[in-house]
Amino acid sequence: MIGIYTILSLSLNLLVGYTGLFSLCHAAFYGIGAYSAALIMTNFGVNFFLSLPITVAITMAASLIVSVPSIRLKDDYFVLASLGFQVITFSVLYNFVSFTRGPYGIHSIPRPGIFGIEFDNHFFYVFLIIVLVSLCFLILWQLSVSPFGRVLKAIREDEISAIALGKNTNNLKILAFAFASGIAAVAGSFYAGYVTYIDPTSFTISESIFILSIVLIGGSGNLKGPIAGSIFLVILPEILRFLNIPDTIAPNVRQMIYGGILILLMRYRVQGIWGEYKFE
Amino acid sequence: MIIQLIINGITVGCVYALVALGFGIIYNTTRVFHFAHGGIYTASAYILYTANVILGLNIFLSFVITITFSVLFGIVIETLIYSPLFKRNSPNILSLISSIGVYIFLVNLIAMIFGNNTKILRPGIEKTYQFASVILTRIQVFELVTFLLLFPVFCIFLKKSKLGKSIKALSNNSTLAIVIGININRVRLFVFAIGSLLAGIAASLVALDVGIDPNIGLSAVLTAAVVVILSGVGNFEGAALGAFLLGLIQNLVIIEISARWQDTITFIILIVFLLFRPQGILGKQIRLEEK
Repeated sequence: MIGIYTILSLSLNLLVGYTGLFSLCHAAFYGIGAYSAALIMTNFGVNFFLSLPITVAITMAASLIVSVPSIRLKDDYFVLASLGFQVITFSVLYNFVSFTRGPYGIHSIPRPGIFGIEFDNHFFYVFLIIVLVSLCFLILWQLSVSPFGRVLKAIREDEISAIALGKNTNNLKILAFAFASGIAAVAGSFYAGYVTYIDPTSFTISESIFILSIVLIGGSGNLKGPIAGSIFLVILPEILRFLNIPDTIAPNVRQMIYGGILILLMRYRVQGIWGEYKFE
Repeated sequence: MIIQLIINGITVGCVYALVALGFGIIYNTTRVFHFAHGGIYTASAYILYTANVILGLNIFLSFVITITFSVLFGIVIETLIYSPLFKRNSPNILSLISSIGVYIFLVNLIAMIFGNNTKILRPGIEKTYQFASVILTRIQVFELVTFLLLFPVFCIFLKKSKLGKSIKALSNNSTLAIVIGININRVRLFVFAIGSLLAGIAASLVALDVGIDPNIGLSAVLTAAVVVILSGVGNFEGAALGAFLLGLIQNLVIIEISARWQDTITFIILIVFLLFRPQGILGKQIRLEEK
């Protein structure tokens, strides 16, 4: 799970931290990724590794549905539009029963494997997620040091100047959106292959808010921040367990702490634990 | 059947209108995307539950307690969270994030205390009234009456009272409002108080109507935000129109397709509006420089 959230927060960071697009629909892409992987693998019997690129392509195409119309919108309007997409995706997953099996979810998704051998021990999953995280990290790192990444930062700092310098900022934003959602799809595929059962409740608005808070708590605008955020996310439940908080209320306590941290961060340390972008 | 659905749409619209007027007055005046409005809404519903069911108080007393608390919540959130950010001249996105933080905090606090399951305040069948072929429950009548009483008060308050005029001035041009000596912090505080009051009233009605669970606030605040965009930002009273429109559309789609797609319809309407008429139904065309 740490790995999944690292991938998700790293990719959302490309939007929030680099481009300054405050998107609240990342769980939708995560969900689209998980569902397309699951449907491809169960219906066509395709191997995990083969379905991965197809899934990424589908999700990137889906991202265009949001990004093309909503990219012109400013601040609050963009947040609301992305939220709208999140709600629509969830209700499609939930209600389009003939296709996604709705609230029943999709079960017995094949585990990842090569040459007919299924790997189902933990060691293999850890190995696979480390490979995937490193791959995503490398891609994002390459993107961030490339001219593309620099233009994105320029858009974040001053969009009008970027336009004045002859950059087609809308197309670049759409591209950033596609990259971010494609990488979220990797996390989705892995999730589908890992738990072998998915249903729409894993891809709600709360999930989107949660991914966003990882990015904000860790800090956005560079690659260290989201990793710091994900690590923090993993340590926190352990601390709570150490403090002997009963299991029934532990998830709520954890969420309350996230909420509290968000409030305090906005007041005292906007850039998060280790980030550089201050939303100015 | 269709008349019944239209009436249902209108009563739902009344509740949407109350939440949206509250959200709208806050958004129009302070430009804070008050996500925590949903948190206040949920909290109010649970306070009503605590007072009425757990403590066994009379419903009117519980209602008074509830709206007192909702106003307090609004004031506390503004004083502790938004006001410091505003004084530091922070970008709006920071208050949005803090607001999400407040929402998460409140809702999980409630879930921790009361549990995640749905609670019903009024077990049993509501008393109903029949007018020709239309059936209304008692609480639906209350929803209609409350709205019909509050809406004129709201409009007259904004138009006639000094405070109402300051609120409009502030939403129109905050710099100018400061120049002519409006105490901006005091007005903001009032705006949050009024908005939260409306949220508290709406939450109480809905709680009595359909029961409560910790997530009711989320859909309430999202609907309110959609309504405000739909009717046009900067237009205080117009939110009522948007609310009725949304209520009607949501109820009329039931004829054609299943009620499960209501949320989808709501947000598709939102996205269509954002794309083709971002100024809303009643909004005036804004010049690019003013955006």
